[in-house]
Parts: sequence; C-alpha cells; structure tokens
Amino acid sequence: MADSNDGYYEALWPRSPRQVQLKPLAKRLDTLEGKRIAQLWDYVFRGDEVYALLEEGLKERFPNVQWVSYKEFGNTHGGEEREVVASLARRFKELKVDAAISGMGC
Amino acid sequence: MLRASVAAEEAGIPSSTLVCDGFLGLAANTSIGLGMPNIPVATVPGHTGVQSKEELRRNILDVTLNDVVNNLTGETSVATEESEPGARDIVVKGGFDEVNRYFYEHGLADGLPVVPPTVERVEQFLRHTDRDPDEVLGILLPDNRAATVWSVAVNGVMAGCRPEYMPVLVALVDAMADPYYGVEHSGNTPGGETLIVLNGPIVKELGFNYTQGVMRDGFLPNTSVGRFWRLYLRNVAGFLPHKNDKATFGNTWRVVVPENEDVVKEIGWEPLSVDMGFAAGDNTVTISRFTGGNHISSISGSTPEEMLPYLADGVVRQYSWQIMFTVGQGMGTLRPLILLGPIIARTIGAWKWSKRDLQQYLYDHARMPAHEYERILRDWTAKPTWNLEEEWRLGRIPKVFFESSDPERRVPLVWDPEDYMIVVTGDPARNAAYVFAHNGVLGYPVTKKIDSLKALPRSRAPKKERHVAAP
Repeated sequence: MADSNDGYYEALWPRSPRQVQLKPLAKRLDTLEGKRIAQLWDYVFRGDEVYALLEEGLKERFPNVQWVSYKEFGNTHGGEEREVVASLARRFKELKVDAAISGMGC
Repeated sequence: MLRASVAAEEAGIPSSTLVCDGFLGLAANTSIGLGMPNIPVATVPGHTGVQSKEELRRNILDVTLNDVVNNLTGETSVATEESEPGARDIVVKGGFDEVNRYFYEHGLADGLPVVPPTVERVEQFLRHTDRDPDEVLGILLPDNRAATVWSVAVNGVMAGCRPEYMPVLVALVDAMADPYYGVEHSGNTPGGETLIVLNGPIVKELGFNYTQGVMRDGFLPNTSVGRFWRLYLRNVAGFLPHKNDKATFGNTWRVVVPENEDVVKEIGWEPLSVDMGFAAGDNTVTISRFTGGNHISSISGSTPEEMLPYLADGVVRQYSWQIMFTVGQGMGTLRPLILLGPIIARTIGAWKWSKRDLQQYLYDHARMPAHEYERILRDWTAKPTWNLEEEWRLGRIPKVFFESSDPERRVPLVWDPEDYMIVVTGDPARNAAYVFAHNGVLGYPVTKKIDSLKALPRSRAPKKERHVAAP
C-alpha cells in the first residue's frame, strides 16, 4: 500500500501495438534428395566453412542434393541488406531454389 | 539472418536459420516482431569464433546438420499471438513506488525511477506539437511497433523531459525510423550507443549545456532527452537486454551533445547541420551510433600543422575492426565523429583553415599501412575474403586503397574527406578533442529538422480534448 507521500497515478502503457500479423511458414519439403538449397550468408563467423561442412554432411544422406552458393545472393547483413533481401524471391525463382539456409546468427 | 529467412518463407521457400547457442533467445524474440515466431532455427553449438577446425566440424556434423534437415523437412510448431494492452490503456494505478515497481517488473523502465506517464502529463507534452497524436513516424524493428507521436509523449514524460522538449523528441524518433540509420541493428553485439548532436538556436532556447562538461549528466535537457532515446528504443523498438539487445558489454545512454555555434560562426565555419544538408540556423538533431571513443588530451601547438599530427594519430587509434565498414560489410559507411574543443577550432580557424581543410588533413594523415588494414580485416576479425587489391579490381572500393602494391602504402580510414564529422563543443578553455569510433551502416548518421517550438504559456495552455481508453 502506498504511503501518504507516495501520490496516486494512473499510468499509461508506454508501448504501441505491433504492426505485424502472424504469417504462415512455407510448406516443408518431403525430402532433400534432388533438391536445390540456397546458401545465404552475412560473410562473417566462418559461414564459408560451415557451408562446406553442411555440403559434405548432407551429401552423405542425400547424394543428389544440389547447392546454390552464397556468392549468388550477396551479403544478407550489411550495407546491401535491404536490396539483397528484397531480391531473394526473384533470385530463388531464377535459380530454381527449393529451400534456403541462412547464417550466421552469432 | 532471420530477415532473409522470413523473405524466403514468404516466397514459399522453407528455411533454416543457423544460430549460435548464445543467440537462440535473440532469435526467438526477433522472430515475433517479424510475424513468424515459429520460424525454425538450427543450433550451432558454442561460438564459431573460438573453435578449432575439428571442434567446428564435430559441432556442425553432429548437431547443426540434423537441425537443418528437420527444419526443412519436418513438422513446424504452431504460432500463437500474445495479447497486449491497447496504445492508450492505463496499465497500473497506485503510488509512485507501485507504478515504478510495475514498470520495472514488466521491462518498461531502464532501472531508474520513471515519471509516471499519466494522461494529464502526456497531454502537456502534446500541446507542444501540432502533430496528431496518432501520427505514425515509422515502424520500428525488431518489435515492429508503430512509432506514434502519442508514444513519444508517453516516453518523454517517463524520461523526465519537460513538455517543451517535445519537438526535439519527435525529430529524434523521426530520425530513429529513417531506414538509413538502421535502428534494427541496435541490438548487435558491439553494443554501440547513439550520440545525439543538436544544432540551432534551440540549444540556447531550451537551455542545453554546450560548453564545459558537455557529455556529463547534470543538465536537465541534455540528460533527460538522452535518457528518452534509450527508453524509446526499449519500449517501442523493443531492445531489451537478454532479449532483443545482444550487446556483449553495452554502453549506457549518452547525454545530448549540442554544438557551440557561437564559436563556429566566429571562425567562419558551418555547423554540422549544414554539413548534413540543412540551412544555417535550422534546428536539427543528428543521430549516429558509436561503439566507443576516447578523449584526446592536450592538443598542443600554435598552428594546424603543429596540432593536427597528434589528432590524426588519435583518430587512427580509435579504429580497429570498425574498418570493416569502410571495406567489407558496410562499404564506405564509416563516419568518424570528432568533438573539437573551441580553443582548437579557433586556432585552426585563425590560420584560415576551413572545416573542409581539416577533413582533408584527416583523410590524408589518419591512415594505416595497407598490410595492417588487411590483417585486421582478414586475419584478426576472420573476414575470409577481403584483400584491398581484389576489392579494388572488382570495382568495390576507390583507387586510393590500391594506388600501388607496396604493403607499406598508407590507406585512409574513410572513402572521402567529408566522411569525417566535426562538431565544435566542450570546454572553451581546454585544448582537447574527443574521437568517436563509428558503427558504420549499423547506425549511419541521419539528421532531421526539428518542428518549430510552440510559444505556449506553461500554466495557461488550452486543454485539448483527446480520447483516452478506459482502463
């Protein structure tokens, strides 16, 4: 309970409503076999080595998996981020991409 | 990374986002504001920056690989939406302590007591702007909330600002929402903090300190407006430590730094606001984000040539990994800021040096050997591909970075002399400067004009009728 010098206030919420609605995720694939996977990278935190390892590991499980290199897309986090991210839908279509991996969140 | 993944999902392409252990919480919070709280991520154990090749190999093949396969082919979880109060809802009623306890426990305050934002106080602020309270100045990531004039007033009250600061607060949020600034990067690991530079007659009209101790707390407008910035980042943009703010160490908010335009005018220079494209005499705020800085003490000499080698050396010493914003991730977006003590500015100006001459001097002399530049980028900060010759041959950087193949050639910190921002301020009686290390594209300088101050009698302002939702 407030003491006699503590006053009385009705305080407003200092946030404002979120402007985004829930969005559905894309349909997942049945298998990665024979599919083309895009590599998206922000050019930091050893993503080039990570993608090389993922290529190696996935090839063992899905021998016909194909890759579209990060070099096709540009840096996804930096001076060109807005342009690169805005171009992804078009680039995926042009490059016949089935799935995408995006790194490195580190 | 998540923004790229969301773009993929929106295009109908399933995604997997590679996230280091310590960033899983950040990813979970950021994905809410992106509208896909259930977007799948693949864990990268530990941090790649400190792992041997063998450790990295084991982590990726044993852990990350399975997550990637599951993310792209498995079931996804169902997203749910959390309910929140309305924009004008009263969320707590009670005494000062009770209100502050509520705000602190709900992540709505910075750790210091806030002024309770009541309807009456908010309306006092709104009387100092002609803008509609519902006007949206922009949408702020990562929370994806509308930056309304109303919310500016609410957070201005909380920060302890006076109502007449409202036009400054509105201009600041207008700048925060400018895409060139890049507010969405405000939670990145270097933990940089914004510096607000104020120009124009408003500095004196509102009583800002622009002389001795200009970066020190203790001056109501400088301090409370600086605090407002951080509260707004927290409450509306959504940057909370341990959630969307991933600062490794972080910085506390900075007080506002106004320029000493009396001295600027006296020596025939133009203020920062003019350098940023506005007219002399305009009231402006300039924001940019800095990861740190240093005081350059006792700059001595009676001519620019005697003084400036020390200053140029001090500038170089503030820059290490940040040169990735010159060559690399930011490409020409590094904008060092130098606060120049009035004595230094007067001495340089007395020799008929313009601000442009000073910028050119720093461009020519604040340099480092090319091999050192490449070592910082390529070897020390593990940026694997960058080599100045290669970048120049690909047409991505100016010729000045590869004028010869001599590894000892000296290359600049920035692309152009005008990239140096110079602000005259601080103690008029001391020969010193302060150099800030810029955060490049992740907090690029943006300037906004401040709306005119309204000359309202403080105690007799007409009360406007505004709709406020019942609690």
